[in-house]
Amino acid sequence: MSSPFSINGGACVAMTGKDCVAIACDLRLGLQALTISNNFPKIFSYSPSVYLGLTGLATDVSTVADLFRYKVNMYRLREERQIAPRTFANLVSSSLYERRFGPYFVSPVVAGIDDGGKPFICGFDSIGCIDFAKDFIVSGTASDQLLGLGPEDLFETISQALLNAVDRDALSGWGAHVYIIEKDKVTKRLLKGRQD
Amino acid sequence: MAAIFTGAPPNSGPGYSFTQTPAPTSASEPRQHAFYPYTDNGGSTLGISSSTFTILAGDTRSTSGYNINTRYAPKLFHIDSADPSSRLVLSVVGFAADGEALAERLDTVVKMYRYQHGKTISVGAAAQRLSHVLYGKRFFPYYVHAILGGLDEEGKGALYSYDPVGSYEREQCRAAGAAASLIMPFLDNQVNYKNQYMAGSGVGHELQQRDPRPLERKEVEELVRDAFTSAVERHIEVGDGLQMMVITKEGVEEVYRELKKD
Repeated sequence: MSSPFSINGGACVAMTGKDCVAIACDLRLGLQALTISNNFPKIFSYSPSVYLGLTGLATDVSTVADLFRYKVNMYRLREERQIAPRTFANLVSSSLYERRFGPYFVSPVVAGIDDGGKPFICGFDSIGCIDFAKDFIVSGTASDQLLGLGPEDLFETISQALLNAVDRDALSGWGAHVYIIEKDKVTKRLLKGRQD
Repeated sequence: MAAIFTGAPPNSGPGYSFTQTPAPTSASEPRQHAFYPYTDNGGSTLGISSSTFTILAGDTRSTSGYNINTRYAPKLFHIDSADPSSRLVLSVVGFAADGEALAERLDTVVKMYRYQHGKTISVGAAAQRLSHVLYGKRFFPYYVHAILGGLDEEGKGALYSYDPVGSYEREQCRAAGAAASLIMPFLDNQVNYKNQYMAGSGVGHELQQRDPRPLERKEVEELVRDAFTSAVERHIEVGDGLQMMVITKEGVEEVYRELKKD
């Protein structure tokens, strides 16, 4: 319970579909059993089709999110182009491994569509080992629960997977954000979910 | 998950009942011996009840730590199978030795009830009795999560789930054991239709929950198989075989199916 990964709680999941990907997170921020906030999104955007989900220690979630905003801004200025999902994933990996012996307590998830229009998702451990998955990635205190399970169908699937998982995890919940990423369209939906 | 911080092997050691013998010391030095009477044998069980039947299921793998003791150790027990009108099945997961001891205790208790009263015990009475049996060992518990299945007096499916010290509740469905956290949200969604609403029934708080309906036997068997094949993919302590017991008014039918052995 005192693991840095489960003090604040949280859940994140990414899935691939046909020519699209989805990434979703809950909104809870807590201190053990006490809920501090019910509006703490854990998904961040780094280019029109690159999204990063971060669960774990909330202070590290914010720090790491800002660190990548800085790094991606520098990349964009130097390269004069948007960062690709796979490039971003490798940036995440190497940045986390830099802190090999004093890691950020986060479990990142990357979701995006690459230049060829192909869906890309992957997950990491806290020191940057990449898990390239074809189907789905989960992270957070509800990750056990999340494992139990065309764009609209994908939205329904990821939403049901997330909502039913966080309802069985006391440390996650209080609504959700769901992003459906297609080649040249991103739909963001806010799910209310159970408020208990 | 954060593998290096939380993904430690189950328990700390190889998971035997006996802790490692201390290293030899000089003759007069005090030595500490330890005996831990419990082992987690892994595995998972699950039960679903419907209008005319109850299905209990469990995988047949038995583990200690990263070792597999056997690929066939049943976790389902037909209670008082000598009585042709018996419709009781007990499933136990956790410490297998305690599970078998508990099944034997309940079997005896149910038999004694039949001998003394000249009739088969009702599932409600058996359920309460099992709670008392578990609580009787409140300070040295049976290290198991038990699920009791049967048919109630109206012929409807009955399912009771227990914690190790006898706290119990009648439910529609329950998953227990190593993969309970993987299976339970799936059951919430597919049996009780949690987070599912009727299309076009309104917005926000006007939304009507999709009403749960009694499931058909074929549907339930499919849910059970899906739950276990998925659990096998993501939990190392679950696998080898799936034992199912289907309790209907005709009797108790046992079904065995292979699961992945890796």
